[in-house]
Amino acid sequence: MPPDRKLEAYRHTDLNGSLEDAVRVVNGLLGDNDDFVMRRFHVFGRYPAAMFYYANMVDQASLNTDVLKSLMYAPPRFREEDLNEERLKEVILLDALYFSEVKLESTLATLVEGVLRGQAVVAVEGLDEAFVINTRSIEKRGIDTPATEQVIRGPREGFIEPLGTNLSLLRYRLQSCDLRIKSMEIGRRTQSKVAIVYLEGVAHPDLVQEVQRRLSKIDIEAVLDSGYLEQYIEDNHYSPFPQVQYTERPDKVVANILEGRVALLVDGSPLALVVPTVFNQFYQTVEDYTERFLLMSAIRLARLVALVFSLVFPSLYVSIISFNPELIPTEFAVAVAGGRAGVPFPAIVEVLVMEVSMEVLREATIRLPQQVGGALSIVGVLVVGQAAVAAGFASPITVVIIALTTIGSFATPAYNAALALRLLRFPLVIMAGIFGLYGVMIGLILIANHLLTLKSFGVPYLSPLVPGNYEGMKDLIARAPLWWMKKRFPQIFPVEQDRVGDQTVDQAKEPTNNVLDPLKFKEDRKER
Amino acid sequence: MIALLLAVPALTGCWDRLEIEDRAVVLGISVDTVPSAGERSEQEITHLSGSYPAPGGTRVRVGVQIALPGRIPLGPGEGGGGGQGPSAKTVWVVDAVGETLDDALMNLQQQISGRLFYGHLRVIVVSEALARQGLENMNDYFRRNSEIRRMAWMMVSSGPALDLMKASPELERVPTLYLMSTMDSAVRMGKFPVNYVGMFWSQSSKRGQEGFLPYVEVKKEQNVEIKGLAYFKNDRMVGFTKPFEIAAYMVVKGLNPAGYRAFVRLGDPERTVMVYATSRRSKIRVSIRNGVPHFHVDIFTELNLEEKVSNELTVNRSEILREIGRQNEKSISIAAEQLIEKTKKNNSDIFGFGEYVRAKVPGYWRKHVRTKENWQKIYPTIQVDLHVHSSIRRIGMKAK
Amino acid sequence: MTSTRQITTMQAAAVLISTIIGVGVLPLPLFAVHTAESGAPLVTFISMLIALVGTILLALLGMRFPDQTIIEYSGSIIGKWPARIGSAMIIAFFAVLTSLTAREFGEVVITAVLQRTPVEVTVIVMLSLAAISSRKDIATFGYIHFFYFPLLLGPVLLIATLSLKNADALNLLPIWGNGNIGIKATIDGILTIASLFQSSFVLTIVIPAMRRPRKALKAAVWGVLISGGLYIIIVIANVSVFGAEETKNLLWPTLELAKATSLPANVLERLDAAFLAVWVTAVFTTLFSTYALTTRELANLFRLRDHGALCFFLLPFVFFLAMLPQNILNMYEVIRNVGQVGLCITIGYPALLLAVAVLRGKRGDRP
Repeated sequence: MPPDRKLEAYRHTDLNGSLEDAVRVVNGLLGDNDDFVMRRFHVFGRYPAAMFYYANMVDQASLNTDVLKSLMYAPPRFREEDLNEERLKEVILLDALYFSEVKLESTLATLVEGVLRGQAVVAVEGLDEAFVINTRSIEKRGIDTPATEQVIRGPREGFIEPLGTNLSLLRYRLQSCDLRIKSMEIGRRTQSKVAIVYLEGVAHPDLVQEVQRRLSKIDIEAVLDSGYLEQYIEDNHYSPFPQVQYTERPDKVVANILEGRVALLVDGSPLALVVPTVFNQFYQTVEDYTERFLLMSAIRLARLVALVFSLVFPSLYVSIISFNPELIPTEFAVAVAGGRAGVPFPAIVEVLVMEVSMEVLREATIRLPQQVGGALSIVGVLVVGQAAVAAGFASPITVVIIALTTIGSFATPAYNAALALRLLRFPLVIMAGIFGLYGVMIGLILIANHLLTLKSFGVPYLSPLVPGNYEGMKDLIARAPLWWMKKRFPQIFPVEQDRVGDQTVDQAKEPTNNVLDPLKFKEDRKER
Repeated sequence: MIALLLAVPALTGCWDRLEIEDRAVVLGISVDTVPSAGERSEQEITHLSGSYPAPGGTRVRVGVQIALPGRIPLGPGEGGGGGQGPSAKTVWVVDAVGETLDDALMNLQQQISGRLFYGHLRVIVVSEALARQGLENMNDYFRRNSEIRRMAWMMVSSGPALDLMKASPELERVPTLYLMSTMDSAVRMGKFPVNYVGMFWSQSSKRGQEGFLPYVEVKKEQNVEIKGLAYFKNDRMVGFTKPFEIAAYMVVKGLNPAGYRAFVRLGDPERTVMVYATSRRSKIRVSIRNGVPHFHVDIFTELNLEEKVSNELTVNRSEILREIGRQNEKSISIAAEQLIEKTKKNNSDIFGFGEYVRAKVPGYWRKHVRTKENWQKIYPTIQVDLHVHSSIRRIGMKAK
Repeated sequence: MTSTRQITTMQAAAVLISTIIGVGVLPLPLFAVHTAESGAPLVTFISMLIALVGTILLALLGMRFPDQTIIEYSGSIIGKWPARIGSAMIIAFFAVLTSLTAREFGEVVITAVLQRTPVEVTVIVMLSLAAISSRKDIATFGYIHFFYFPLLLGPVLLIATLSLKNADALNLLPIWGNGNIGIKATIDGILTIASLFQSSFVLTIVIPAMRRPRKALKAAVWGVLISGGLYIIIVIANVSVFGAEETKNLLWPTLELAKATSLPANVLERLDAAFLAVWVTAVFTTLFSTYALTTRELANLFRLRDHGALCFFLLPFVFFLAMLPQNILNMYEVIRNVGQVGLCITIGYPALLLAVAVLRGKRGDRP
């Protein structure tokens, strides 16, 4: 029988007080592992007991001092009657065991599961419940700058793998009584812990319920990363556009939770998921809110332009060159013709080949280690591009277009959205090659229609543009000053609407108080 | 389903894809008449001789100026290929003969590898002979073709139009672009009204107006000079003006920018100055007197003093400027009247007086005019009253 | 959770505008100057008023029966079988309208931009696009129109403003034209232009899905006014730049206008290809509306639950109809005739229904 079925067999078996039986069962299930330890000892010098744990998953020092020592050595303050059998359980739990997280369990399967999770289980002869002590301690890396989302102005902390640390990062940022963390275990074999985080009173209760419902329906073997969860809970599995956002930054998660969204964290994955997601989240970054609004609005606009560029530029180029050269000024048209004169392939083939090579190059640079990778990307683009031109394989303008497109796609902060646009480029180029500008329009209409039908947990994907909403528009292209955005993003129907107190708004409008005005001090000095 | 639909056209091939380097970008076209006893270069390309009657009439010789790919360098030119001097050929001129314009172009296409592409056509030159015969065929072809842009320049040349295609002056790299810049600068300097081929067509179609085109000539150094306006009656050219009369035209219509320079004499030849117009305004009012349209034209021009012939005349009082202004008024009135008389002789209302009648006194128009032919007949009978007001505003940097 | 009432008033107006503004924008000035020469703007204005009347009738009718489409409530007004005939006429008419619109669009693209592509291909691509999009629900219908409608207004207004620098006010006088054609031909022309507005019939499927049907009238009026205003602006721009006579020479004057316009500093020279590209979205929204109208009302008539399958089923028929006209002039003749017949259907029939409903005291919103 497969192991987890074996475990299931003990789901309804309890401890019966016999230590040897318990030992036999646990050893039978786990004893084959070389890192499994069973330590026999005497509680208070009298009662036989055994401790089961995985050597590499526990904090050895704490295990020794706080568990073994406190159990083996009965302090003098214990009187004889305390060490009696009837009161043993109570005394151990309440007086002797100097450990914070201790539970009593009787079901054998639960006990074994506890060991599997890095807890230490202590079974004592004669007791019908065993102590499950949370000594779990796994090596983890230090909190580091998030690798995929770097900002100039904003916190440099990123999530790491263990769930507990991640949750602490969230908690200290949102020190509110309303922050709720609910967890469940998903994945039959991995039993990964998944935490649902939301702000009660802000997130709509139906949304939370729906998230829980969708999660509970997942019956898979393993959840290795939050990405697995994403694919099961999203609304439309076939769309190239992501309906769930992921991030490595706790401040971003907190910001979204404050909006009324729900975050999902998975133990073992440094990427948190945020639902529901709409399109305009994909070109917003944390800096947009930490820096001042005028400048960041302009930069956000640039990002949006880059996003659009990365989608349509190559197809526009193909359609103009092959179908409608009358759109470009005359001298330029003739010069382009000259540049293309030696190239054997039609523009569309050239563009496709260059695009594919760029994609391959990109994939290659991700796999390479840091030092080599950085150099390769620059060298690759420049040298290969130049060589291609010199060899007469590509025309210089094509190389420029492709380079601009690729750079544009890097400017999109969300990798999954950038990916979607990157891939959609190809069908557009093909359409452009068949029908010219008309084909590009048809392709764009198809994409736009698809975006318009997409929903994420019921929220239309292109909110707040469609359906129109004034409050939401303040954050769409330009970022309005913080004191203008008084209400939360209404698309997700938060229970509580206000963000900024009225006093703050008025304060922003009052004239400033010139505390260190030089004129004031001149008179003071004179008086002295 | 979608994939299938999209794949089908791809399988059958893309129809309209024509790479830019496979197109023969035509920058300029010239159309000449060919005397019927001319070359036997009629190949049987659009018809078999004898089986289908050809339209008869005159044949045309069409020349095209095709841009050579890559020879028109942008900027400093690429590494190796830009070492050619200004004498390198940037364009290629070919010509062919045919019964009609389209016929000739077809004959031409037979000789050229790339497909002729008119999307960048900027200049169309017509010889005077052809213009006098009638431009109906040409206008029709160019209107039907969707590639032609209405912002191209059409001009009438006093000699063979093909010469203009071949002219390669020193200043510009591409001859057609030179022609185009000549016209555009003329417009900008106020020496010629804006008259793209589209406007020419608009004006010709109007019932109360006739069209006009620039009249040009090739000079010694292969540069092109604007010799006046060629004015039309329907689709035929009936005369041309002198260059100064272009100024008169622009003055009557009140077209800006203004840029004409003129002599003004205050009495003796010694007291002559050169003035330069900076802006113009005109107001045309129409009324019917004695059953004949009567136009009252108010013209306002502002001028600067540019040059004095001798020191006989001292310009230091505003009186003198006013005097100069008055003399200028006289000379403008004379020039304008002359121009109007000239056009009346050929029944060619290039000013568009008829349009004013049609617009402002529709009753009269409906009863007496209605058609273009009628207006052409009535035009010589109209009365025009010119009132010119000129003021000299500035005198340059010199104080007297 | 989702109600079937999703369309806001603004979206309803947007639906109207983007439906009306379609392929008719291109030959519109030609029709207008044929009717009244320099009186073209005035004639367009009059046609807009006629269309406004028709649309108001539709809105009133729809507001009286806010939960049903015209197929449904016509039955309760004039009886089942007359209503069936009326509804069949409407559906047939809109199927024909869809096919003609698609064909006209295909012809423009082929003549002006893609000269060697067969017209069948452009038509089928456009129709397929409309068919695929029609499968979606009514809320998405509203979103799509709402999303595209600024894209329509933008280029049109841009072309109009940029062309103003070549405009000559004299071309627009006299305001009522020089009266060169008789009364019958004038009325003929006005009706033809009014028929360009008749796809506002789509209001009948929009009202049942509106959040606040009471506002339907406002949406309808705004919709027709804005699209009518846009038409008038185009006609004014065309006539003032070219003059009435020259416009008569042009098959698609608006396109020529775009050709003659250039962005300042000559960044892009001939804007007509770009204009056509954006105008593709205008035609798409129109086709989408009329096709959706046809399929939905057909589904309604046969009391089918879902119109999705019909979308694909109808496609070959509409395509066949689109290929019927033999040549481009034939196509325009057909459009003119069909347009005038259509006016009877789209204005006459609702007027009849409304009159009978008022007389017989039938309402759908009170028990």
